[in-house]
Amino acid sequence: MWYNKGVDLLTVSVAARESAGEPYTLVEIVGEADVTNTDELRRLLDEEVAQQPRTLIIDLSGLRFLDSSALHALLRVNRSLDRQGGVLALVSPQPAVAKILRLTTADRLIPVFGSVAEAAAG
Amino acid sequence: MARDGETARREHAAHEALTRQPDPRPDGDRLVPPRPSPDLDDPMSYTYTTDLAAIRAVVHRYAIQAGLTEARAIDLTLAVSEVAANTVKHAKSPGSLHIWYDSKEIVCQVHDEGVITDPLAGRHVPSLDALGGHGLWIVNQVCDQVEIHSGETGTTIRLHMNLPQHDAGQ
Repeated sequence: MWYNKGVDLLTVSVAARESAGEPYTLVEIVGEADVTNTDELRRLLDEEVAQQPRTLIIDLSGLRFLDSSALHALLRVNRSLDRQGGVLALVSPQPAVAKILRLTTADRLIPVFGSVAEAAAG
Repeated sequence: MARDGETARREHAAHEALTRQPDPRPDGDRLVPPRPSPDLDDPMSYTYTTDLAAIRAVVHRYAIQAGLTEARAIDLTLAVSEVAANTVKHAKSPGSLHIWYDSKEIVCQVHDEGVITDPLAGRHVPSLDALGGHGLWIVNQVCDQVEIHSGETGTTIRLHMNLPQHDAGQ
């Protein structure tokens, strides 16, 4: 299943995938995520968390910017998945996004991979 | 860098604005009164409501133009965006951004009508479990100097980044 949901500045795409027989959910976030679209981002991510995926992979390669509000949305997803026995992984953050992940040590809490294939292989 | 009349005039204004040295901050945590702003007709002045992407684009462009490295330009862009995000979250009116630079530093000044009541805002490491509070902390981590002045007329925050040739830390 694919759907695209345009948020101001932001496009979020979701796909159900499989790796070595294990299903995972792939979310691609493209554009710029900040306080002006965090509510919508949170809502879209919450919908995916509610599906109780074992593995949720967020591809950040198309995301040019992430501010602290949007980071909190990701941290919330991480907490929710953790509580329900799932795992969140991030993929390919661009420099500005990698910087805030590193600065806040969020990258020590949420695993960050260089590619979707690596993330899916766990 | 091309130096047309416009640029030269701006740089002159920026130089004047920077002739006063920063007030000493022995404890590093005291609120500092703002120094005079540069010319309000300066073309490097912007008003924003929720168009933070536009603000980020402007800051990044001037940061590179002033001579910051790409990594430091990203830092400044992140810092300004976090400060401007506070306007979007807390202030009931638009914010303004002024940017100026000389050979030593680039300064971004954000003003809005919001009020910061905690004089130590952004000075402590927030927990990742906290619902908010990372914004000003991030600003303090990436900028070389942060001045916050908050009073009845609103809040003015100045973010300073040293330019490479004067940055002994690099």
